[in-house]
Amino acid sequence: MIYEYLDIFISGLTIGSVYALMAVGLTLIYGVSRAFNFAYGSFYSLGGYIAWIFMVAIGLRGGYAMVFALAVPLLMVFGYLTEKAIIAPLRRRSDWEVKVMMITLGLALFMDNGFQVLFGPRMKSLPPIMEGVIVLGEVYITKQDMMIFVLSISGILAFRWILNNTRTGMAVRAVAQNPNGAKIVGIPKDKIFAATFGISTVMVGIGGILLAQKYFVSPMGGWDILVKSWVITAFGGMGSIRGSLYAAFLLGMLEAFVGYWFGMSWVLFALFAVLLATLAIRPQGLMGKWG
Amino acid sequence: MKKFCLITLAIAILFSFAGPVAAADTIKVGVPLAMTGPYTDTGDNYWKGIKMAIDEINASGGLLGKQLETVRFDTQEFAPERVMQGADYLVGNRKVDSVHAGWAGWGQDVRAYGKYTAPFFADDGSQAAVDVFRENPEEYSNIFQLTDTDINQATSMFNVLMALPHEYPNKKVVIINADDSWGMGVGDTLEENFRNEGWDVALREVVPYGTREWRSVMTRIRRIQPAIIHVEIVSAQEVITFFRQFMQRPTNSILSYGYSIVPREVVQTMGKEADGLIGQVPTAMPTPIAPTPEAQAWVERFVELWKHQPQAGSWAAYSGVKAWATAVEAVGDEKDHKAVTDYISTHGYKGETGWWKWDEDNVMRGGGDVPFGHYQVQDGELVTIFTDPPVKPYMDFKFITPRWFK
Amino acid sequence: MMNMNWKSMSAFMAVIFGVMAIMPLFVGGSDHLMHILIMCLIWAIVASCWDLIMGFAGIFSFGQVAFFVIGAYASAIFSIQFGINPVAAMFLAGMVAAACGILVGLPCLRLKGAYIALVTFAVHMILEPFLKSGMGRAIGTGGSQGIMTIPPMELFGIVFSADNKIAVFYAALLLAVVCSIIIMLVIRSFWGTAFLAIKDSKDFAASLGVSAFRHKLVVFALTSFLTGLAGAFYGHYVGMLSTRMLGIDLFVMLMIMLVIGGIGKFPGAILGAIITVTANEMLAPLGPYRPLILGAMVVVLVLLLPDGIIGLVRRFIPGKNPADSRSPSG
Repeated sequence: MIYEYLDIFISGLTIGSVYALMAVGLTLIYGVSRAFNFAYGSFYSLGGYIAWIFMVAIGLRGGYAMVFALAVPLLMVFGYLTEKAIIAPLRRRSDWEVKVMMITLGLALFMDNGFQVLFGPRMKSLPPIMEGVIVLGEVYITKQDMMIFVLSISGILAFRWILNNTRTGMAVRAVAQNPNGAKIVGIPKDKIFAATFGISTVMVGIGGILLAQKYFVSPMGGWDILVKSWVITAFGGMGSIRGSLYAAFLLGMLEAFVGYWFGMSWVLFALFAVLLATLAIRPQGLMGKWG
Repeated sequence: MKKFCLITLAIAILFSFAGPVAAADTIKVGVPLAMTGPYTDTGDNYWKGIKMAIDEINASGGLLGKQLETVRFDTQEFAPERVMQGADYLVGNRKVDSVHAGWAGWGQDVRAYGKYTAPFFADDGSQAAVDVFRENPEEYSNIFQLTDTDINQATSMFNVLMALPHEYPNKKVVIINADDSWGMGVGDTLEENFRNEGWDVALREVVPYGTREWRSVMTRIRRIQPAIIHVEIVSAQEVITFFRQFMQRPTNSILSYGYSIVPREVVQTMGKEADGLIGQVPTAMPTPIAPTPEAQAWVERFVELWKHQPQAGSWAAYSGVKAWATAVEAVGDEKDHKAVTDYISTHGYKGETGWWKWDEDNVMRGGGDVPFGHYQVQDGELVTIFTDPPVKPYMDFKFITPRWFK
Repeated sequence: MMNMNWKSMSAFMAVIFGVMAIMPLFVGGSDHLMHILIMCLIWAIVASCWDLIMGFAGIFSFGQVAFFVIGAYASAIFSIQFGINPVAAMFLAGMVAAACGILVGLPCLRLKGAYIALVTFAVHMILEPFLKSGMGRAIGTGGSQGIMTIPPMELFGIVFSADNKIAVFYAALLLAVVCSIIIMLVIRSFWGTAFLAIKDSKDFAASLGVSAFRHKLVVFALTSFLTGLAGAFYGHYVGMLSTRMLGIDLFVMLMIMLVIGGIGKFPGAILGAIITVTANEMLAPLGPYRPLILGAMVVVLVLLLPDGIIGLVRRFIPGKNPADSRSPSG
């Protein structure tokens, strides 16, 4: 019995680590610029397709290390330009928060169907990042899951390092904490917004690559991710990175254990029940600052 | 007032675009399939069969000397209003003389197209659709189902599982199905059949589409150690991830995938990795060797045209077009819908493997010349091991005990 | 700030509905085109309700499709399981939708922006698994198969079924006109002013004794009622229901209607609904390019047409509406 619980615990950890990577990216944009990105799921698919193009279509040498090395700048530029092109112009308007949701929803529709036109409706598969299973007595962990866990956590740590130790990162934090103050001290707000969008695109894109090699890529595959990331960020507190981290692992565990005890069909109900209960008690989520 | 007239004019012009377009002397054929959204890939399977049939007819001089012209309609996610709109657009507006669909609405389609007279071919495979038909067989006489119901297909799966040359170590079964109409139908029927035979349905999981993390289910499966695991989710990502996660620590269980074996990606992605899986396809073209030379020739034409093996549904949809064309030839007038439907109901159609006959519910029941095919993945290919009903081995192909059995 | 005065709002609506009323003269013979017209009207109601919530009350509710589906299912279940006359069932269904609206609104209206969007969208997300589940089947939703036979409305010997589209069309028109008038009255009333006050300055509104929460809740209930009513109408008209209505397609369509119509620019949403439904049908032959174009359209329109089609109309017909169309910054 104890082994079964360990098994489920590992499952929760794996799910949680991926959720964490996704949710941190989403919460970051909201925290810094209050923009809610509906196309987040499509950016996830974009990561997967980029990996597919490099690994399978082109057959690039160098494996996933090469894919990551090429995908990161690509995603960064894509995110940056997207923000500049369609979100920045809206910011001057009074009802821009709704408009951002709408425009990113339009972008999601465009991108998802663009994927379908370009790559076809069928799923694409990628070679696993690592094969084999580690067996410890009764418990086993696949090397694939371990890589996902390790890379997700390193992604988040790298992101933390950027926030704390680089000029851009510090500027991002400054804007998040006090947009007007940041402006006064001469931080170029618009550039920071775009850079934040770029960083968050990288986070979700990496998540897309990591998961594509286990769960595959398909044109409409991003919606699930959007909804889950959304629930996690709201649960953890929108804009709070630490809150998102805790929330991701808590909900990962919840998903694994509810699936184990009650069945998979209850997972979604349970997620929303927990979310609603949390928001009823704490409207700003676990650690949110902006209520 | 000027503004009023202006807007009226504008809307009238807008609508005139959507109106019927005068066509040359062709016969119009409606094809409502999912071209966008989550059902796009199954829509693609049907389209390939339908397109192949229509191109063949056109290449050989057309039907009654006229070329066939396809009119496509995107049924998207089969919302009731979309299904109805498809019928009103294709038959009502564009005046097509037959409609060839695949998955078409699981009963909603019967109602939508039943009010018209043009013959309608669907591949719903659903008892719900048959129930709607039975409410008014007169009214719905133009509706033809290309495959048998979910209930009969599931019963066939059960019969073959019981007939496998394999010693079951216990009488425990795990059934996992998607929460759609098809998955529930198969899951319920299987559960009932297993219980009646004295089996213990140790776990029945209903999962939403998009489930790709199976560890919590696997943990329970490993505790149960079932003799059979049946998975019914017609979507490649779910069933491939299930198989891979199962294989990390397999139990001595027969893995039965039912209709979920059909998405092309399952075998294409996994190749030999998928060896041992078994599954079922209705109105199936048995492979790797087709039962007749004509059928073999059909498979080769299909592969040449589309560069891959035919998918479930492609051949059924192809045969629907051919059955209709044959009837039109016999009647001599594509506009006489009543005569055409009567001809199809009474005469049936002789296809590549033999006769297609529709029963009193206008359902193409499994059996006879077009039985259910039961497959096992062997050496990375779908190999027909049984046909049913009646359950009998297909040619010399044998069931092989999967490699994960200890 | 009010963008349109009472007179021009009614004139605008009279023109739109007047034009709609005579459309059957041109296309009455085609079931397909009549269906498009009917759907234009039904979506016009839903889009207007959404506009009232989002544009005027400033609540980012994403649950509109959910309330539509709740109304449709409730009415179908009332008329099938309890044999209630469809017309009565429709009103009951509206009440059910309103009750659900209050239930959702109670916890959720205290939240802010994106949180409300999430919770209301969660209702949308959870509805499909609920309707398919054992609980759903127990109350008569038909599970994943849906409901195949819903009796049509019958009044004065006229059957409003899918076979009699002209009758359904005029019934839908009546419903749309009534709903639009109600929405207009709300906007024009004390409430409308209160909302704009709440939107512009919460503290100021509070000091005037305007309780944001109570007003929001009532409007939430009202729009849920009207949306549920529209859903019920849809169910009895089409005669079938399934959970497939909860796909993302419909949701996005509804949003496009608002983008085209202009948010908070009622009665722009009505025009938005008519244009979107028609454009969607015209793009249908393009298959996968249809949503691609729709998506691109949203992006371009949000950027170029900040006030929707109404803003555009006003730019080209000067003098009619002297009021500045730009919203105050806040």
